[in-house]
Amino acid sequence: MTRISPRGLTRRSLLKTSAFAAAGTFAAPALLRAQSSELVIGCAGSHSAWMEAIVVPHMKEAIGADILFEGTKSSVNLEKMASNKDNPYLSVVQMDDPVMIQAVDADLLTPITADAVPNMTQLRGDAVHMEGMWCNYVQPWAGVAYNTDFAEGVPSWEALWDPANAGQVIIPSLQNTEGMWTLFMAAMLGSGKPFSEAQYEIEAAFAKLEELKPNLLSVYSTMSQAFNLLEQGEITLLSGNFSSYTLPRKAEGVPVDLAAPKEGIFAMPSGICLVKGGPNAELAAAYVNEMLGEKMQAAIADFAASVPANTTVKAGAVIPDGVEIYSPDWAFVAANRRDWIERFDKLMAL
Amino acid sequence: MSARIDRISLLAVPALGFLAVVYALPLVLLLAKSVQTPEGFSLAEYRAFFADEYNMRVLWRTLRVAALTTLLALVIAYPTAFAMSRARGGWLTVFLVAMVLPMSLGVVVKAFAWSILFRANGALNGALQWIGLIDRPMRMMFTEAALVVGAANVFLPFMVLPIYAVVRQLDQRLPEAAASLGATPMFRFFNVTLPLTLPGVVAGSAFTFSLAVSMYVIPSLIVGERQQTLSMLIARSFLYLRNEPLGSTISAVLLGIAVLVVVLSSWLARRLGART
Repeated sequence: MTRISPRGLTRRSLLKTSAFAAAGTFAAPALLRAQSSELVIGCAGSHSAWMEAIVVPHMKEAIGADILFEGTKSSVNLEKMASNKDNPYLSVVQMDDPVMIQAVDADLLTPITADAVPNMTQLRGDAVHMEGMWCNYVQPWAGVAYNTDFAEGVPSWEALWDPANAGQVIIPSLQNTEGMWTLFMAAMLGSGKPFSEAQYEIEAAFAKLEELKPNLLSVYSTMSQAFNLLEQGEITLLSGNFSSYTLPRKAEGVPVDLAAPKEGIFAMPSGICLVKGGPNAELAAAYVNEMLGEKMQAAIADFAASVPANTTVKAGAVIPDGVEIYSPDWAFVAANRRDWIERFDKLMAL
Repeated sequence: MSARIDRISLLAVPALGFLAVVYALPLVLLLAKSVQTPEGFSLAEYRAFFADEYNMRVLWRTLRVAALTTLLALVIAYPTAFAMSRARGGWLTVFLVAMVLPMSLGVVVKAFAWSILFRANGALNGALQWIGLIDRPMRMMFTEAALVVGAANVFLPFMVLPIYAVVRQLDQRLPEAAASLGATPMFRFFNVTLPLTLPGVVAGSAFTFSLAVSMYVIPSLIVGERQQTLSMLIARSFLYLRNEPLGSTISAVLLGIAVLVVVLSSWLARRLGART
């Protein structure tokens, strides 16, 4: 029979063991992360489908990275970066251009250089911003998504205001970047000016948006839910949606399509950046390089019906003919967005 | 004896320490932001919040939705708690599982389930048309009624379980004694049963109201951005406006409401407890 030593489990030894265990528990993630091939990527929630299907397996094979992606909104990604500025956990973030400007202002990004990311030299000139602070990796186009069971097309953005569509329209909140398309189109229709001038006619935009209220079922900040309502036929028109979301669903046989109305469509600014001081910096640069390389560019552009940024890639979405494609003054948007969000929320409130 | 009690009370120290670090400290830091300005202490954010008509509308809507949710949950929960108190064996297990299991289901999943129920060509509209109550589909999605029904569904267990705990301990001889003295069922309920179960009603209502007044996911999924609540304003302030003082101020207002509900319900429960 074995006797337990009277010195086997004292209060002091128990405390000491607990302290070591607690220290080990807290230290383990940092120790593991320091030597891991893990990359945490912030991206849009609507990108989950192609991130999982294409990017994750490719990155494991090409650079040996284990990708953990956090799908949310650009503004939420910005908040995560700002909150963790002293100890960032995101390595790379994929978000929209106006939010990138705010991230640069807050000193949250590291420039992308051709030494670390050679594929950036193959991009269109307008896809590299602020001396490499971020690059556009693909560019979907945005128009008006509609349910094909209830509409045969959307020839004009005025359809959103048509009394025949009362209660059948959902638009994005200005909290979402795609919300800007409805605002700018309201500015064009309200002011009667061309886009280059109308984008600054914000008073006309809000006056025209107010006229839209009788037709609105809702304003969304979670796009997947609004899109679900479009698919179900609960609404007919979903303003400001983009090709990377609507066209893959159409290809799957869902009764939806994306219209390019005669007044014009918009270029959705999908950017990629390196987080300043983010973990695994070399691996992060390798990730960005792969995202801008031919293989990923072609795969994402095909899957997400988007225009590739890499000039050597010929695959991807076909941009509708005969309509203007607009890209707004994002610096103007970034400078005014807070006020617009407050004003929009109050205007649209029930 | 008292020394023994003191030593036992030390067992609460880890929990208190944990709460102090992960709850109280961040909360204090958050609330401090609502009164901090570069010039020093200021209540300007509070004045601005209460002076804004839109904020007052959101505050009123938040309170109204929370009150309606609590009322609906109470109407459903009260008879349910009595049924549970009478159930034995397998039936009691069924009741308890029915109460607890839905809590493990995510709100997002429930919201999509509600959209199947509430949409124009959904089950509810179909049933109402089939029985001839309506000719054409009613608008149910994105209404306050849908929000109240959805919220009551989520918070129902928090109303049922406190009432059930009180009803289970109810001395059944008291209503029987009233009956033997000639009291009608209605009189027995309003003068004997209801007063004795009020502490459970107060506790359940306080739980449900506190949760409903601060809910975020349910309104954002069911009614969207056009009908904002205080929690949605807080998220908007921090995430989109990047206005920490405003977000902290609204958080403090919301916390004040929750604390007021808890204090009032504790006071009411003590009074009712003393009376019964």
